[in-house]
Amino acid sequence: MRPDRILPLTASALVLGVGLACSKPEPAPPIRTEPRAPATDTGTAPTAPADTTGKVSAVDTMEMARKAAAAALKDINFDFDKSDIREADKPKLQAIAGFLKNYAQVRLTVEGHCDERGTVEYNIALGDRRAHAALRYLAGLGVSENRLSPVSFGKERPRVTGHDEQSWFENRRCEFKMAN
Amino acid sequence: MKRMLFALALAGAALPGAGQAPPTRTEVTLESKSSGKLGTAVALPQVQGLDEAGVARDFHDVLKNDLEDAGPFAVLKSTKFPKGTEAATFKAWADLGTEWLIASKVSRTGPDQVMVALQVLDPKAGKPIFNKNYTGQEGGAILRRIAHTASDDLVARLTGERGVANTRIVFVRQVSREVKEIYQVDRDGGGMMALTRHGSLTISPTVAPDGRLAYITYKGGAPEIWGQKDRGGPHIKLYPVGTQPLGQCSAPSWSPDGKRLAFVQSDRRGNSDIMVLDISSGRVRRLTDSNCINTEPSWNPAGTQLAFTSDREGGPQVYLMEEDGSNVRRLTTEGTYNASPSWSPNGAMVAYVSRFEGKFDLFVFKLGEGKAYQITTGLTSSESPSWSPDERKLVFVSTRAGGMQLYTTDLSGSQIRKVMDAQGCQSPRWSRSR
Repeated sequence: MRPDRILPLTASALVLGVGLACSKPEPAPPIRTEPRAPATDTGTAPTAPADTTGKVSAVDTMEMARKAAAAALKDINFDFDKSDIREADKPKLQAIAGFLKNYAQVRLTVEGHCDERGTVEYNIALGDRRAHAALRYLAGLGVSENRLSPVSFGKERPRVTGHDEQSWFENRRCEFKMAN
Repeated sequence: MKRMLFALALAGAALPGAGQAPPTRTEVTLESKSSGKLGTAVALPQVQGLDEAGVARDFHDVLKNDLEDAGPFAVLKSTKFPKGTEAATFKAWADLGTEWLIASKVSRTGPDQVMVALQVLDPKAGKPIFNKNYTGQEGGAILRRIAHTASDDLVARLTGERGVANTRIVFVRQVSREVKEIYQVDRDGGGMMALTRHGSLTISPTVAPDGRLAYITYKGGAPEIWGQKDRGGPHIKLYPVGTQPLGQCSAPSWSPDGKRLAFVQSDRRGNSDIMVLDISSGRVRRLTDSNCINTEPSWNPAGTQLAFTSDREGGPQVYLMEEDGSNVRRLTTEGTYNASPSWSPNGAMVAYVSRFEGKFDLFVFKLGEGKAYQITTGLTSSESPSWSPDERKLVFVSTRAGGMQLYTTDLSGSQIRKVMDAQGCQSPRWSRSR
């Protein structure tokens, strides 16, 4: 048991005073308005042949699927504050749909992502919208929605760390990952 | 999950003020340039070479910094302070212009127990103004806590309004490339500690009035709302429980009574809507239902209305609604991207961010005037405002010194201070209850 000890006295002196400096309120500056963006268009939904089932064993198939996934599962990108599927990305989604037809056991996580220019929570919602846009497009190509799990990461997991147009473009994306 | 254990017992009583002018109240409004502050000065204690000298000095430094930050105090600066605070020194203190003489004595009152005896004297009148003993379990940052509490008591003694020294900022911090966790830090930037250790993406904290946390974690893959059902209780999954909802959840926000959580749930089309979860019954009620994004719910202090962000008319704008989802009306009228509403503790203002030329600035909408005021300006972005409990300041994140760091500002935007040196911070929430 250690003895009680008194620590040194500390003293400080304070002079109190109150004063107010006044300034005029700062009004919000005028901010230019932009025309409203067109409504979201999820793109056409072409029909596709029904899924086929694999002919080889499930284990082998999954192994093959993993190899094929690297080539088939490419990011798609989006315009700023948009979730429309771009024309340039439609072939990528068709390739993903083809991959899913070849490997019927495969399920995918569809990740929606955003660039850094936006609030955390709004970007979570926007990424969700992007994931669902990709999901609907794939469903339109005949993929069962049960095989696709959308999830949004907002701006929390950027692909690249730059702060320029090219980086922002690369970060506004959907990633497709095997979920099994 | 680690939580600091401490007990703060108060012994002794505050003596009634003698010969002291009535409390002066400084009203900080958007028209004034923060609270008044005259030149600062302080007498550092003349500490002799005991091994606890460092402890006493640290306590003193925290208290001094708190008092300087509080606004109404001006701490004396001199190199020729009288030695000690005994009655014989009163005249010398008074001659230096001292109106309040603060004497603090840190001592050990038992195993692992410390006591700080704080006395404020009026050296002119030779009378005590304030006298209080603070005791607590040693460990953690108890002396920091006591210094903060003492500062708030002194501010209350002077102004009649409680200070915010003993408050904390809960925020998200990037730990590694794929991991973010919830942290908290004292208002003065000290005592930072992790509140979660999920080892995954963990974001969007909200603090109930009694200190309970809730937040989003992706530890299970899909985002879930985790948090505390009971004060000081374990962190458990709050939502979804039972049947899995179709969409994902985000942006939880405790109601002022701490019984409900507003949050955001997306649907099969990727639309996001605001819901309210009743914690005890687990019942969920929908507040919005539209083909768009509705997010960032923020309660008014009465718990009768919510501010939120919606892109129902194109770009994101801030709206208000009743707590049952009725009477939706748009708050922000200027700008193409307004978001992150934060309703002020007294209910008269809503802080938010507005984007212009690629960066965000903080704004405050005064509901009584129906008018918005810009708080920050600059070439860098200022985001995610949260009110100080006394409604005089905002904490926010900014890239002004690289990375995303925590700052506070007064409502004139002229006193911007970095909370600490830590990059990769987001979503600060200023709370008195942690």
